Amino acid sequence: MLMQGLFLGLSNGVTCVAYCTPVLIPYMLGEGKSVAQNFLALSQFLLGRLAGYLAFAFVAWLINLSVLERLGSKGLLIGALYIIFSCFLMVYAFFKTDAPCAARSIGYIAGKIKVPFLIPILAGLLSGLAFCPPFLLAMTDAASEGSLSYSLFFFFMFFIGTSIFFIPIPFVGMLRRLTALRIIGKMAAGIVGLYYLYAGIITVIAGVKGI
Amino acid sequence: MRTDTHQAPQGEGKGRTIILTVMMAVITAIMFSHGKIPQDPKEAIALIVTFLFANTLFFLLIYTGKTDRYRAVYFSTFAVALIISFISHMFEARGSMSLSEAKVLQCEVPFCHLVIPMTLVPMALTKTIIFPGSLIGGYASIASMFVLWIGATLALGRGFCSWGCFYGGLDDGFSRVLKRPVIKKINPKWIYLPFAVLLFVVLTAAAYLSPTYCTWFCPFKAVTEFEAVTSTKILIQTIIFVSLFIGLVIVLPILTKRRTQCAFLCPFGAMQSLTNKINVFDVRIDKEKCVKCKRCIQVCPTLSMSEESLEQGRPRITCMKCGKCIDNCPKGAISYHVKGTDVAGNNRAYRLLFLFAAFLFISIFSSHIIQDGIIRVLKLITTGSMIS
Amino acid sequence: MPKIRSILGYMWAGAAIIVVFATFLGSSIFGRALVAASGVKISPLYSGGEVVRSVDHGSYKALIHRPVFDALIGERSEGFIQLNWEPLAGLPPVIEESVDYNGDGKEDFSVRIDTKTGKTTLTRINPQVASIEESVKLDDGWVARVQLKKD
Repeated sequence: MLMQGLFLGLSNGVTCVAYCTPVLIPYMLGEGKSVAQNFLALSQFLLGRLAGYLAFAFVAWLINLSVLERLGSKGLLIGALYIIFSCFLMVYAFFKTDAPCAARSIGYIAGKIKVPFLIPILAGLLSGLAFCPPFLLAMTDAASEGSLSYSLFFFFMFFIGTSIFFIPIPFVGMLRRLTALRIIGKMAAGIVGLYYLYAGIITVIAGVKGI
Repeated sequence: MRTDTHQAPQGEGKGRTIILTVMMAVITAIMFSHGKIPQDPKEAIALIVTFLFANTLFFLLIYTGKTDRYRAVYFSTFAVALIISFISHMFEARGSMSLSEAKVLQCEVPFCHLVIPMTLVPMALTKTIIFPGSLIGGYASIASMFVLWIGATLALGRGFCSWGCFYGGLDDGFSRVLKRPVIKKINPKWIYLPFAVLLFVVLTAAAYLSPTYCTWFCPFKAVTEFEAVTSTKILIQTIIFVSLFIGLVIVLPILTKRRTQCAFLCPFGAMQSLTNKINVFDVRIDKEKCVKCKRCIQVCPTLSMSEESLEQGRPRITCMKCGKCIDNCPKGAISYHVKGTDVAGNNRAYRLLFLFAAFLFISIFSSHIIQDGIIRVLKLITTGSMIS
Repeated sequence: MPKIRSILGYMWAGAAIIVVFATFLGSSIFGRALVAASGVKISPLYSGGEVVRSVDHGSYKALIHRPVFDALIGERSEGFIQLNWEPLAGLPPVIEESVDYNGDGKEDFSVRIDTKTGKTTLTRINPQVASIEESVKLDDGWVARVQLKKD
């Protein structure tokens, strides 16, 4: 039964990747890092995604989701996260900064740690929280069982199944010597940011109407 | 900066020009008329006017040695004729410029080349075209546009953007309104933006199986067709494309004297830039003649010339082969070139070979559209309406 | 060697002129050949997918398309089924259609369309049926899309 989560993830993983690549590829191109460093960024992304999945595994068990949807608070939360994320992406893309992260104060800390973590983790968290279409399938299956541990493990296996398809993405690092691609990656990240700003505003408005 | 030893572009002698023009005239006479003499007087007038227009410009191109000036006249005329023809056709077929849900569901949306980059990944993986158009037959079918694109790519590379694209003539035309630019300094990093847009639309089109550039960005919907505003989302999309049209196609070209839509947004142009690598024709700078006056950098409509170009002896891959730098170089150091041959070799032969291919392309491609535009104008004059 | 390269360059440039001719003279032939060789079709997301069943109602017929869940690779969790109605002797004032889209012998939903006002009512029987996505009058008929969730 729990292997169902894995198989569901494997059968839907490509769709997950398709929805995530517009953020991941521009970011990795823009950073201009090596393949190994990109795998680190990917693991940060997947960590954020896992956190999102497990958070909702907990929610799916804890509260009746249809209540949440009627209240519209899901829309407010997701929409607000989209808007915050879009701001990070746009600052990262369009403003010159030596900090590894677009937000200066956090970038200062990140600079000390020397791990650019914020954008990949946020992107992962958002993709986990934002109910990407395969995720909805998993939600229905997990929520139908009563146990929290089942719910958590189901989502964990679903996460593993989808994550396999992300493995080729860090290989864009092989193109890092092409300086132009760094600029293009950053600009594309900015455009993705604009899209998330639009999506965030629309989702917040829908959420407010739903309350 | 002009010097005392300004070297005007070299044209051909009268004899050679006449021979080449006669060749072009024979070809265009057959291709424009499809071998038939039209019976309708309006069609006959349109055919004759288009034929004379094309061959006069070709004569002047070859004889004066000036490329960009005459190319631009043809190019802008093509763009204006398309707007007249297309909009009239939309009114005849649907009664308005707005795209109805019915037309989308019946897959009757005209296909243009700007969609092509977004269709490639889904086509490779699903063997389907993510566009509600007609594959074969109908108005602006998908297959015909793909054939055109493949032919243009093989023959001209990104030269399509100066000798084929029926939208480019708009910002090209507006960029010539003022004598001097109002905005002179443009950060050269903006030339990477179309590539970023290309990356974004290719990824999102593949993810959502939807032509995202058409839906969200394309400024030329303002002069062709667009979705009727029936929701907030469509209203936002409408605001975006109208703003991009006004900003990038009209206002900024006037202020900067650059082709800002083509240089800073168009993802199709970005894709075509990559094909410049495999195209036989390019533009080269003879470093021995170049005095680094940087006139070419000032005039290039797509910022494809830079100080690095002068060092390397060639423009960036974004060069659209419009000929403006060639016409403006005071030393005649820039010229069209055929790959494999000597840069300082027979520049006039290289130019003729390129111009023949390029002019043939634009004249044949534009002929029925310009003729239809003329017919519509004649209808307007004689009947008070452009539509049947 | 430079001479050979030069000759090849000139030949390649000459070929470009021939390519231009071929592009326009052979446009329709090449177009058909391109479609036949590649086997491409319009995406079912836009065309509605293949028609799997036709129901004769006398003065009009209903064309039931296959359920479309197509994704870039594999299938999506949400999709639709398209229904077309084509008049043979005119569309009736009200169209009523019951559909079993998954072939299990049980009706999954029914659609009622007032062709004068365009009012479309969906009666869901199968819980996988979501809502009406589109209901549009065509030049010669009517089309509706019903949103579905994957089993």
